[in-house]
Amino acid sequence: MSVPTLVTVADVTKSFGSNAVLKGVSFDVPTGSVTTIIGPSGSGKTTVLRSLNALERPDTGVITIGDVRVDFSTDIPETEFYRFRAQSGMVFQGHNLFPHKTVLQNVIEGPVIVQRRAVAEARADAVELLRSVGLEGKQDQYPYQLSGGQQQRVGIARALALKPKLMLFDEPTSALDPELVGEVLAVIKDLATQGWTMVIVTHEIRFAQQVADQVLFTDGGVVLESGPPSDVIGSPQQERTQQFLRRILDPL
Amino acid sequence: MRRTRIALVLGVLVALVAIACGQGPEGGSDRVASAGVLRVGTEGTYAPFSFHDGTTGALSGYDIDVARAVGDKLGVRTEFVETPWDSIFAALESDRFDVVANQVTITPERQAKYDLSKPYAVGEGVIVTRANDDSIKSVKDLAGKTTAQSVTSNWADVARQAGAKVEAVEGFTQAITLLNQGRVDATVNDSIAVFAYLATTNDTSVKIAAKTGQRSEQAFAARKGSGLLPGLNRAIDELGADGTLAKISQKYLKADASGATPQKGAAAPAPSTIKLILDNLWPMAKATITATIPLTAISFVIGLVIALGVALARMSSNRPLSAVARVYISIIRGTPLLVQLFLIFYALPELGLKIDPFPAAIIAFSLNVGGYAAEIIRSAISSIPKGQWEAAQTIGMKYPTTLRRIILPQASRVAVPPLSNTLISLVKDTSLASTILVTELLRTAQVAAAPTFEFFAMYGTAAAYYWVVCLALSFGQGRVEHRLERYVAR
Repeated sequence: MSVPTLVTVADVTKSFGSNAVLKGVSFDVPTGSVTTIIGPSGSGKTTVLRSLNALERPDTGVITIGDVRVDFSTDIPETEFYRFRAQSGMVFQGHNLFPHKTVLQNVIEGPVIVQRRAVAEARADAVELLRSVGLEGKQDQYPYQLSGGQQQRVGIARALALKPKLMLFDEPTSALDPELVGEVLAVIKDLATQGWTMVIVTHEIRFAQQVADQVLFTDGGVVLESGPPSDVIGSPQQERTQQFLRRILDPL
Repeated sequence: MRRTRIALVLGVLVALVAIACGQGPEGGSDRVASAGVLRVGTEGTYAPFSFHDGTTGALSGYDIDVARAVGDKLGVRTEFVETPWDSIFAALESDRFDVVANQVTITPERQAKYDLSKPYAVGEGVIVTRANDDSIKSVKDLAGKTTAQSVTSNWADVARQAGAKVEAVEGFTQAITLLNQGRVDATVNDSIAVFAYLATTNDTSVKIAAKTGQRSEQAFAARKGSGLLPGLNRAIDELGADGTLAKISQKYLKADASGATPQKGAAAPAPSTIKLILDNLWPMAKATITATIPLTAISFVIGLVIALGVALARMSSNRPLSAVARVYISIIRGTPLLVQLFLIFYALPELGLKIDPFPAAIIAFSLNVGGYAAEIIRSAISSIPKGQWEAAQTIGMKYPTTLRRIILPQASRVAVPPLSNTLISLVKDTSLASTILVTELLRTAQVAAAPTFEFFAMYGTAAAYYWVVCLALSFGQGRVEHRLERYVAR
């Protein structure tokens, strides 16, 4: 077990008003591994994920990604957040593609505008990325011309184009029609085999089981159970985990 | 002298009413004699000629006293009907009264349209300057100077012919204001108007510096073919002979303006309406191109920049900043544009800040557009989903970049239709600049219309020009909307 750790989350808390959403969450993500977060709605799993790029700013706790360490209980300069955020790429539930830009423009926006890379180079990379997510020939279309699954794959390509150390997925298939879920999950699986470090919030338990090296089950603002999928999903120890899995896997 | 308080809209109404009532009832002298009443139309707000006495409230003044004296001579009662100047001729045409007694100046145009009596007040052209200005001693000295003139008055022509630059104003009081503010060097007007001004205000900051040599004669106006003229003229002759007119003049003007020997100017044939329109097509087009359109374009661009700043300030989490933006929007939207224009042009000089007409108009219109467009831009920005901000954040964009590349392009699609409304309104609002000496389209139409009484033709032409400009903008709006909608499912 000499795999280096990319992400360390230590005792993160977050409240919205009087509602404590995270009550002390801690976990590690080894480099090159896939972590899936499962749990009931309102358990805080999305908030955990959004803390990893400071879209939600935790009240207290320390998150380290690569060489950037942020202690949220201190005053943090805005520039530090940009550095922190640059560690990861994010795929949203609702893809959040830029509707006024073509597929290619969506993908190269970050590399060209933020990372100041040469347009030709960024464009070549983007074309290759789009090919790898199965969107060859779609580069000049606008998002509205694509299916939900294709839009989500553009979202993935847009995040990958920044060459982040960490990929974050926030329920990437929840907003999709059932028959489109498979094509998106296939792309994510493919990324896993390429060695990307990923944190995925999902409701797709079978997918979580197949792709994950580590599963976190969150409930009531804490990580209730964690470990390899064969433990957490295969033989859960906690009563709440068992209940949750029963309801998801066998809703009738 | 010719009264020149031309109201923009009323002018058109006057023309319409005048057309409708062109064939007014005739045989006025019979009616006056049989009813035993001479009905006199007068303004009642024009001191010291026709006004309500501050202490007694009774209608009095030079013209009132003369009209009463004439009534006495005719052996009839005098009944006054108070009517705003701008509609006084329309009211005469529609038989609301028999004669106008309101310092109506004899002009060829008027003589062609109305029965004008012998003059009962005679003035001469004088040049008024600041009391401490000795550079103007004759008409010749006007060359190269700037004068403030009612565009509708013959004195504007006198000044122009002497080589002076003419700033258009609404009336004598405004001309004096500009003179005192140092915006103009002189104003040419009728001695009667100047006497009246000096007698009512005791102003010592201005003086009569020279005379121009032109006479102006004020007379009663009646409907054409009224039959009243012989009686009126006889009465005026008698009042002049027995010194009554001189007495009245001394009482109200502290000067004798009764005149001695009336002069008759031959009535010049009025130019045809078509010719008048054709003659003014180019000057009005020029005013549109050189004033109305630049005024609109510059103000709109500056206004949008202000609006974006105000909208962002209003949405800012910085409370004082947001409050300032709110107050700004509230004031701009809560006060009339005309008042904003007047504040910037007429009121700021009192604080020592004098701005030329065109820049003053630009400032007022830009601030106004800024207030209105700010709310449009704010709501357009608010309509962009939060996810767009987040997606931009996650690819590392900072606030200004996100705004410029992600949010504003999308918001502009939402904002274009309402902003187009603002722009089209602005085109028409620029007509208000005519009130602060900007010679734009409407002002050009006013200048052409006033001496000829062709209000309908001239204002109609101006309306057509405005319409054409707005049509072009509507077409442009369609193109822009089409372009911005290329990324939206249809």
